[in-house]
Amino acid sequence: MGSPNVAGQAYAFMAMTPIKPGEECPLAEYLRGLRAHGPSPLARLARTHIGRFVIVPDFHNDPTWKQRREEHLDLNYLIFTSNFDGALDSYLDELCERLAPEASEIWGRCVGCPESARGAALKAYLKHNQIKTGIFFTAYGHATVGEVKQALREREGMIAFAVASQGLEPEALQKAFLAEIGIAR
Amino acid sequence: MAAPVRMDLGDIQGDILRAYGNAYDCTTYAFVKIECPPEQARVWFSGLLGHVTTAEPWAEGEKPLTTLNVAVTASGLRALGVSEDVVGSFSHEFRDGMSSRAQLLGDVGPSDPKRWERGLGTGDAHVLLTINAQQTSDHRRALGKLRHAMDTAGGLRIIHQQDTELLPGSREHFGYADGFAQPAIEGTSDDKARGGGVPLKNDQWRPLAPGEFVLGYPDEDTRVDPKKRLPSAPAAPLGRNGTYMVWRKLHQDVALWRRVMRDAAQLYHDGDQHKLEAKVVGRWPNGAPLVTYPDQEPVGIDPKTPGGNDFRYDKDKDGMRCPLGAHVRRSNPRDALGFEGHLSFRHRMIRRGMPYGKVLPEGVLTDDGEDRGLVFVSFQGSISRQFEGVQVQWLNAGNIFGLGHDKDFVLGDPHGTGKMTIQGKPPFFLAPQEVFVLTRGGEYLFVPGMTALAALADGTAG
Repeated sequence: MGSPNVAGQAYAFMAMTPIKPGEECPLAEYLRGLRAHGPSPLARLARTHIGRFVIVPDFHNDPTWKQRREEHLDLNYLIFTSNFDGALDSYLDELCERLAPEASEIWGRCVGCPESARGAALKAYLKHNQIKTGIFFTAYGHATVGEVKQALREREGMIAFAVASQGLEPEALQKAFLAEIGIAR
Repeated sequence: MAAPVRMDLGDIQGDILRAYGNAYDCTTYAFVKIECPPEQARVWFSGLLGHVTTAEPWAEGEKPLTTLNVAVTASGLRALGVSEDVVGSFSHEFRDGMSSRAQLLGDVGPSDPKRWERGLGTGDAHVLLTINAQQTSDHRRALGKLRHAMDTAGGLRIIHQQDTELLPGSREHFGYADGFAQPAIEGTSDDKARGGGVPLKNDQWRPLAPGEFVLGYPDEDTRVDPKKRLPSAPAAPLGRNGTYMVWRKLHQDVALWRRVMRDAAQLYHDGDQHKLEAKVVGRWPNGAPLVTYPDQEPVGIDPKTPGGNDFRYDKDKDGMRCPLGAHVRRSNPRDALGFEGHLSFRHRMIRRGMPYGKVLPEGVLTDDGEDRGLVFVSFQGSISRQFEGVQVQWLNAGNIFGLGHDKDFVLGDPHGTGKMTIQGKPPFFLAPQEVFVLTRGGEYLFVPGMTALAALADGTAG
């Protein structure tokens, strides 16, 4: 407990960085392209539950709200969020090394990003632009990515077993259970 | 609550709010491609207007021999000369078209748009003419007239035609009564609120706001809005009294369905194929709901009669009567998701499907090569929220019902868990999942009101 960024052992990180004028479209295209070329680069950070890049072009001002004045952003903003296992510092260390090839294409297009978008300089930049998480809800904050994946594998195995062993007599069922699933830990 | 909304029936096309009914047992869907300049196309379009059937009730004994209804695709609007600005005021999923949503909808593999029938999903289908007829001869005459008008105008071609015909007992090809569970709409079908509307506390129901189905009226969001705003709709005059339409040709592999159910029933604990099939569907063949009649098909019960569709899932939370993954429970969960229906009542749609193809004779277990299935038609204020919400979140994904990756067993494919659980003591696992239903083509359309049709015809729609 303590930090509002933390739930269980999971951490919710968010950084909001202004995009350099003229770089909005190239950045959007680059981010879209990431999905087309194999697995997400965030997969290289095995502690990541879910990561997301969002571009915010402006505030939406609905005329029916009758605001006194419309509010606008001077620049487009890039929002990066990641929910991951463990502490922020070590996670950002990993991110700033393993995502270095992409980081210069992503945060390199943002105002104030260090020339060499990697390592300690990138980490300091991201921390400087961190937004504190107001409320962090997670359904399983105590389970790490590894534990979640293991649970899913067990679930799939149990479903396959239940389907395949349907209709077996008790003795045969027990034998099959011990052979396929083993003794409960 | 505000005074009941008066619907402008003379400006709304027919068969949306109220079905034309079983007197019309043949329907033809003709997709027209416009290959001429917009001005020329609009001359032909103007000629259709006088024949379009509205929602105005028919006087006693004045039921027309045939009806005509008109819908347009996004590329159809452009072909009629509507500006990009106005086309841009339509919803994004309508503009993108059904084939561009294939991944989302699960139209992959054998249902991939690349394998769809000629003229569908390519942007070539511009205008859909729907002709209903009481008799085959009337039907042929009406089609002949429409073809003649097209030939006279020139530059117009029917690129896809699908004829459909009601099957005996209003059944679909798997043998189940279909199409009678419709949303109850305020001011139109208030009498169907029980079972058709929003399930409230203390066994009360209320009908749905009309804007869920016809644009230009308050919907479930705006019905309680003190500012009386209307839901988002295309630019005037197109938005008023129109609705979005989903059209899908779904092929059904009846022989495969029968074989899978026969084989699975051998393991089913009471060996009862009839019951196993009903568990998958959630209703008995005559339409009686499993949640009310869990043990056997009731004789003499007609769910189409008043009160026949009036049921909830609140006393069957564990799915022992009607399985949690039964097709009708997934596609219309009523109160099953809790919160007084709040998670489900914004995902209702009016369905006007029609079966096509000949019945596979009873007992036949091998495919005879005939094309048969269902033309699925739905009307809604928002395709993404209503049709796609049901198809994507409820039928293709099981999370919201606590079903993990189980897909709907009737419509799904083997790429989920590949099984359906039928709750019981012990539960029964129905596996493997096969592809019983294939998408052979489809379009997202818009059904304009009469004023809007006239504006399209004279080029003043913007």
